Formats: sequence, C-alpha cells, structure tokens
Amino acid sequence: MTAQTQKYTFHVHGMHCNACILMTESELADMPNITHVKSSLKNNSVEVIGDFGNKTPKQIAEELTIPLKSHGYTVSVEKQIKEKKWSDFKIAVPIALGFAVLFVVLQKIGIVSWVGGGNVTYGTAFVIGIIASLSTCMAVVGGLLLSMSATFAKEPIRSLDGHQGQRGEKIKPQLMFHGGRIVAFFILGGVIGALGAVFTLSTSATFTLSLIIGIVMLILGINLLDVFPWAKKLQPSMPKFIAKHAHGVSKLSHTRPNGRGFSVGRALTPLLVGIATFFLPCGFTQSMQLYTLTTGSFLKGGFTMLAFALGTLPVLALISVSSFSIKKSSKAGVFFKSAGLIVILFALFNLINSFVVIGLLPPIFNF
Amino acid sequence: MKPLLISLVLSGAIIGGSFWVTSGSSRPSRAIPENNVSIVDGKQIIEIWAKGGYQPRKSTAKAGIPTILRFNTNGTFDCSSSVRIPSMNVSKSLPQSGSTDIDIGLGILGTLQGSCGMGMYPFEVEFQS
Repeated sequence: MTAQTQKYTFHVHGMHCNACILMTESELADMPNITHVKSSLKNNSVEVIGDFGNKTPKQIAEELTIPLKSHGYTVSVEKQIKEKKWSDFKIAVPIALGFAVLFVVLQKIGIVSWVGGGNVTYGTAFVIGIIASLSTCMAVVGGLLLSMSATFAKEPIRSLDGHQGQRGEKIKPQLMFHGGRIVAFFILGGVIGALGAVFTLSTSATFTLSLIIGIVMLILGINLLDVFPWAKKLQPSMPKFIAKHAHGVSKLSHTRPNGRGFSVGRALTPLLVGIATFFLPCGFTQSMQLYTLTTGSFLKGGFTMLAFALGTLPVLALISVSSFSIKKSSKAGVFFKSAGLIVILFALFNLINSFVVIGLLPPIFNF
Repeated sequence: MKPLLISLVLSGAIIGGSFWVTSGSSRPSRAIPENNVSIVDGKQIIEIWAKGGYQPRKSTAKAGIPTILRFNTNGTFDCSSSVRIPSMNVSKSLPQSGSTDIDIGLGILGTLQGSCGMGMYPFEVEFQS
C-alpha cells in the first residue's frame, strides 16, 4: 500500500469558542501523519489533510480524538445533532413569567416606600440594601449576576490535564463577585465619605454603560437558551471583561501548561464585575452614595456602603447558589432556559429604560 | 439542591427579620393634596412628591408663566431621588429628605415628560393655555 495523502472532514464536538480553533489545530498539527489542519467554529468541523494508510474515516476519527479527548473534544464522522430540547420551555416559560410577575408585584406594592425618613443608621442602610435587591436594582445587578453565574455554571470547567473541575472551581467566581462587591463598597464608600464628593457619571456615560450592560445581558441570555447557535458567534465581540469569562478564558488556560489559567480568569472577571456594580445605574446605590458623602468620614462612609452591600447580599447570594448548585441533571436545561428568559426580560427592561432616560422613548414602564 | 434550600431559608429569615425589626418605621401615609399647582409671586409652583415614584403622576399647569418644579422627598432612597427631564436636559439628584426646586422657565404648551434616573418612574406635566 503506497502512502497517499487525502483530505478528510470531521465533526468536532465540544468546540465553543475561538480559542478552541487554535487548541484543536495545534494538537492535531502535532500528529505525525497530518500535513494540514483547519478547524472551523462555524460548523464545528475540522479539515485534515494527511496520510492515514487505509484506515476508515471512523478509525481516523477515533485516532484524532485521542489527543483532543483530554481537552474535552471528540472527533466523529457524523454530525452531532444538537438536542435543542424545546420541551424545556414548557416549564421554563412559566417560571420566567412567574418571576416577571413577582418582580412587577414587588414594585407595585411599593416596597421602596418602606424606608422611613429621619436618620440613616447602619441598620437602615442594610434594609435599604434589601429593598434595593428586591427592587429595580435587581434588574441591573441581579440580571448581570444571573447571566454571569449561569454562563459560568454552564461552561464545563476543564483543566488542561482533562480533569473535570472541582466543585470549588464553580463556587470561586461567585465568591470573587460578592467579595469584590462588598470590599469595593466599603473602600469606595469610605473614599466618598472622606472626600465628600461622589463619582457621578454623566447622563451620556450612564446611558452608554446601561446600553453595554443591556446588550451583553441580551447576548448571554440568548446563549443560555441554547437554541440559537448563531448567538454564539456574537459572544467574542463582547466587551473584553465579559467575553473573557464567557469563554472561560480559554486562551489563558490553553496557553498555560499548568492549567491554572482558568482560575485566574474565572476569578478576575467576576471580581471586576463585582467592583463595577458600585457604578451601575441603580437608583438605590446612587442615593446611598449621595447620603454617604454627607457623613464626612472614611469609616462612617465605608460602613454605610458596607451595610448597604450586605443588605443586597441575601438575594444576590441566592442567585449565585441556585446557579452553582445546578448540576448536570434533567433540571439543568430548564434552569438555564429559565435563567436565559429572565436575563432577556431584564435586559430588555434595562435597554428600554435607558432609552427613556435619554428621551428617545416615552416612559413605558410605570411602577 | 440542599445548599439552595438552606440559602433560601436563610435569606428569607434575614429579609423577614430585618423588616420585622424595622417595622416601626413603616410607610408614612401622606395625603397628596388635590391641587399641587399654586401661583406665588407670579411664579407657578408645581409640587411633586418623590418616593417610590412621583405623585401626582400627572399635573396640569398653565403655560406661559415662569414655572418651578418643586420635588419633596422624605426618606427617599430609590430611583425617584434622581430626577430626569430629557427634553430640558435636566438631571438632578434630590436630597434624601427636603425639597428641591427645579426652574424650568416658561411652561411651554404641551406635555412635559420626566422620569427617574433609571427610567421606570414617569411623571408628566401638562401645560394648558
């Protein structure tokens, strides 16, 4: 049998990001009998040119799988038909709608008016935090957290040696988010208290920020639904700080031989997002900051914002816990689809409101 | 699902507990006067209460006279403490308690629309001839 070079196309399962292209290509190019390799994320395929003797395509696919298996990819002849599980929506849609109704009801009964006047103690700051987390701030901060943690929960954690991530790896990003948030609120609150000035963003800066957040949430939400493959391609074009986590910082992890890249990226992004929530357009946060500047002291200001952040913690932690306690079970699909729908609703709510604020739309929501 | 259940109970307890502790400072009931528009020294003053939204949500005023929007707050920490009137490019943060005047010049015939800084609490003033 003479050696002959032939072109084959195989399907690759498990490719979800741009870095996967580099990853599969570099691994396969190292194989001795391959002269050319080209992966495509678009149709999850890999094209190889090489000499495999008289092996059947199926045998070749198995051979190619060997070096990729540890990274979580499988090569096969047949295209894997992705189960879209539309039936999950039968449960997910009512859950999301129920959530939306609960959200509207909470606003309608006027929980925001439960705060009395008079002096603001750390206790009131705490209660204001709780109310904020049940109120429209949930649409911004909670929505962002839900989209982030559900995306994290969904992405399989793979370290380079192929071991599935430990449970701790799933909890870590959540801890970084909440930790970053609480520490940032204390420090930045202290700075405001000491300086007596607020870092206020201009209307156009706030608008730009809400627009970016709204769009990022929309994309993450659509991806969580897992029924629109085209949305995957949108993910790389997102702002770097979100995109980084959405891909599980594949690039970092793929280039670090010790597999620690994941921990760095998975921790850093939530940390930064947590800190950034201090500046998010949320009415309660802003008016707490305004109050804080009247305290005139670092410690007083810091503790006021800390108490506020702690008040928001129970509801936000609930979002985190529900995300990482979801396992690969039959319910996982329903969870991600419900989360996706809720995130999309919040994203639309935020987007519409930001257009109202700059006057492009007349007020639509009326709580 | 166990951690989820524990955290549900825990957060429920914290939220319920803190409301119970602070229940003394319950919702202040304030009657919104029928007529919130008055003319003092040739200036039209439109009073609006800001807390958990704006009340009255819709005011009727006269067009063509110097007009001031007066926002009253009392323990207002929500979005309504940040007033936004896009057509006049007004963005104003109100103090937690007190009253704040926003001079909007001569009332122009038609409806002036405003909202809170996040856009979900609207209010409007209709200027009639």
